[in-house]
Amino acid sequence: MFEAQEINAEHKDLIHDVAYDYYGDRMATCSSDQYVKVWDHNKDGKWTETSSFKAHSGSVWKVTWAHPEFGQVLATCSFDRTAAVWEEIVGDTPGPGERGTRHWVRRTNLVDSRTSVTDIKFGPKIQGLQLATCSAEGIIRIYEAPDVMNLSQWTLQHEVQCKLACSCLSWNPSLSKMQPQMLAVGSDDANPANGGKVFIYEYSENTRRWTKLETISSITEPVNDISFAPNLGRSFHLLAVATKDVRILHLTPVEDVQSIQSGLTKLEVESVAQFEDHNSTVWRVCWNITGTILATSGDDGCVRMFKMNYIKSWKPVAVLKGDGSHVTSEPQKTAQAIPSGLQMPPLSQTARYFKLGSISQPRDVPWH
Amino acid sequence: MEGDLKTFIIPNDLCRRTGLAASWTPINQMSVFAYEKRNVRQKDGPSNFASSQPSSVFLLRQHVLLFQPILRKLVNESNGAFLNLQGVISDKTLDHKSELLKLSRQYRSIVRACLEDLQDDITKVEGEDKETLQDYITIFYSIECIWHLCEILFVDTIPGNIVLPLLLDWVRFHFPKHERNAANMLSGDLIGLEANPEFWPTVIGSLLQGRVKVVRALLKQHSASDSHVFRLVDQILKAMPVYNVFSGTSVSEFNIQWRHWTVDVQSKIDAKMFVTSPNLNLIMRLVVGEETAWTEIQSHCETWYELLAAWLFYTEPTVKIFEVGQFAKHCITKMRMRNNMKHLDRVLLAAMEFDVLQVIKEIQHMSENGWFVTHLTDLLYHAGKLSNLEKEVETFSAEKLHESFLLDYGSLLMGHKSLWQVGLSYLDFCPTEGLKAIELILPRIPLETEAKTQKILREAKNRELVHVAQSICKVQGMKSLKRGRLGNALTWALKSQDGPFTSFLADKFLHEYTKDGKLASTDLLDNLGSCMLASDRLIFLGKYYEFHKLYQSGEYKEAANLLVSLLASKIIPNYFWYVLFIEAIPLLESEEIVFSSNDTYTIIHCLEEKEDLPELKDKIEILRLAAARNLSRALTYEAQLV
Repeated sequence: MFEAQEINAEHKDLIHDVAYDYYGDRMATCSSDQYVKVWDHNKDGKWTETSSFKAHSGSVWKVTWAHPEFGQVLATCSFDRTAAVWEEIVGDTPGPGERGTRHWVRRTNLVDSRTSVTDIKFGPKIQGLQLATCSAEGIIRIYEAPDVMNLSQWTLQHEVQCKLACSCLSWNPSLSKMQPQMLAVGSDDANPANGGKVFIYEYSENTRRWTKLETISSITEPVNDISFAPNLGRSFHLLAVATKDVRILHLTPVEDVQSIQSGLTKLEVESVAQFEDHNSTVWRVCWNITGTILATSGDDGCVRMFKMNYIKSWKPVAVLKGDGSHVTSEPQKTAQAIPSGLQMPPLSQTARYFKLGSISQPRDVPWH
Repeated sequence: MEGDLKTFIIPNDLCRRTGLAASWTPINQMSVFAYEKRNVRQKDGPSNFASSQPSSVFLLRQHVLLFQPILRKLVNESNGAFLNLQGVISDKTLDHKSELLKLSRQYRSIVRACLEDLQDDITKVEGEDKETLQDYITIFYSIECIWHLCEILFVDTIPGNIVLPLLLDWVRFHFPKHERNAANMLSGDLIGLEANPEFWPTVIGSLLQGRVKVVRALLKQHSASDSHVFRLVDQILKAMPVYNVFSGTSVSEFNIQWRHWTVDVQSKIDAKMFVTSPNLNLIMRLVVGEETAWTEIQSHCETWYELLAAWLFYTEPTVKIFEVGQFAKHCITKMRMRNNMKHLDRVLLAAMEFDVLQVIKEIQHMSENGWFVTHLTDLLYHAGKLSNLEKEVETFSAEKLHESFLLDYGSLLMGHKSLWQVGLSYLDFCPTEGLKAIELILPRIPLETEAKTQKILREAKNRELVHVAQSICKVQGMKSLKRGRLGNALTWALKSQDGPFTSFLADKFLHEYTKDGKLASTDLLDNLGSCMLASDRLIFLGKYYEFHKLYQSGEYKEAANLLVSLLASKIIPNYFWYVLFIEAIPLLESEEIVFSSNDTYTIIHCLEEKEDLPELKDKIEILRLAAARNLSRALTYEAQLV
């Protein structure tokens, strides 16, 4: 059983990405209307927009939060060929409560790409403040803020040529300093003859370079999203890929003479699940915090959830689907649907949740 | 584990037309929004959906029954039982079997208490709330019923595997109606008891639950109890052999006694000795196990397991625990229930057939968010009832199954703002993935208050998650800094042991001082102690503050010594030289000589080194003059001493 709270996002066009901060207390949205909005969640669970700013001069594809150790920091990437880093500033005049007036300032504009910047992600915080971008021209760029207290200075540390147009990237969120940094990159190149569309890169401290470890040759269709799962102490890395179907891969580092000599990790790639439930192209993949449930969205208009059971096999567990015809049958819902925008202050500060209807079998879904 | 796929509807038309996408929040929630993939190769511009409708984000959370305030006691008390159980298991000196039985009973009494609370509350509410509470009662009633049976079959030690007395107890416990009616009748007006319409149903009901004494007591109150037929029935029931494993009678001896008795009763039935009273005749036909009689009274039984216990009592009194399953199926067939088995029926049958895995599979769907399956599986796991499945079922792992439930239940509670510590205690007992899960979830618990932050830090430290604790401190430090609370920020930075961050903050303090001549958070600086060693800049700040204090309290000699040692130390930030030099002037010019000639040389050397600093430009002459004057005074003075 699910219940939902509707938050009117007030974007003038479709939302491309929604990102939560480290605690889930703040939400950032970005849209084709070129704006980024930041939402805060009050004690009673209600979400209110606290900032809205025009971030780019094209569609904003992705928005992502840095670890709060670095302050309140966002990064965005856009069709306008740039990526940007934003920091929230608390003004000197204290406002109501403990918070002063806040606004977001653009700390840097990363203009190295000659094409649309398709994805942007902060690196694992253990390596300091790093930012990876990828672009349609097929270049992965790694930026770093050498002084984490000064976010207006970023240096382009690495440019990695990927040969194929890049659509998405994901850092391996390894928690230990022992593991070398790892990135997975996907390409939405449409020609199967160009080979594998998922590439795994690793940073070598010795050569100070990013090296391609692996091309996943079993995936030759365009890849739209890619995501490493948080590592729960498993001996393998878990990678989800959105392509013509949902793929879940195990990447297991193997130690052999060759890998020890070269200093590069050797990976054994195993496809552990392949779901065609969307019956169409898959656009996004997203892990829960422990990497046990994967949420995917596809061209069938549905969000689907897959859960790993105790023997590490995967099963679909729930589907979410939009349907406007149910709106009128929910009286409480219609009250919610009135945009609560600027015209009047919200009557109640408490969040209202309504139960989601379902097309169902009598059994409940084991979400966990 | 299996679960049917359920489709949930997001009530929004835009979502229908465009399709949906989802993002997870850090813990247990997700948001979905209208989404259409845009190809980056297309021309960028407003989509077909631009401005047409307000776009919404739907924040979804699972409806968690356990988070209802009325169930809080259940969650907390069962957590106590869970922790006791882990303690029992780790204590090798205890008799695990009997301790586990005690704990199983404790769990059940917690469920009973919860049911009582729900029963109390349901009288106080109306409408929809009443329905909700009724649902909860149904859920927890089923849980108690299943748990009780599982306790009998899997946890209890049954002498000689003679399970019937326990099954009767179980049925009596869950169908207390007849006992209650009989007690009411016997304690009330005894004359003409048979006029009560409930008289015969209660007699039969008590008979089916094996309460023969109650049956006799009731029959004695019948106005015809002195008649021959009543006395005969009473004698027969009195003579009925009852098996007792401790009586010293062997099963075969008992079976002979039993056969003699039934043959005797049957002959009396055949001789039509009871036909004057159809009810008594029915009772006699039942006790000898006549099929047609049992078919007649089936309607007295609400469930197949009520019938089962009764049927076994009169036909298979020495039934062994592992034979119960086949009789259960027999009763289900007799009651024509095979095709409309409810969830509870399926679980009970699976338990009676000793299919533990099926029981676990089924009870995952009880809509109480895994409370039952987690605690029961934990109990069965420690009772050793899962490990033998590993031989029977391929890919099954008792350990992993056990851990996966703990992990799910623990993570679920971690997402609740006041139950997170309860959640932690479950994750602590996940041997392979628990600590990593804590490492992922604990630092993401919102730090709403100082007290909560301290609690989270303590939990991190208890588990030696040093980097988690440090990261939390760093975040707090950063937050304080952004709010302009430098002292707080420095306190947190010290706890986080982040050298560069500490230096940054020490610099901030010094910069502030160069601006307005005031040092902030002097309490903190007073008590730095060995914390000072976190960074060079902090050492300087601490030392400078000491100098400042000495100077203020007029201890010029000591202040001067400290100043000289600072100048010689090479830990002075470039921007701070100016301040030190300026503050040296009054000391150089003081009436009493506070700098020796050597000290003065040090000052002059430093001055020469830094003479290009732009901010010193208009002060350098004064400084040189002051230094020279002090040098001459010091040399003269020192010469006198020689």
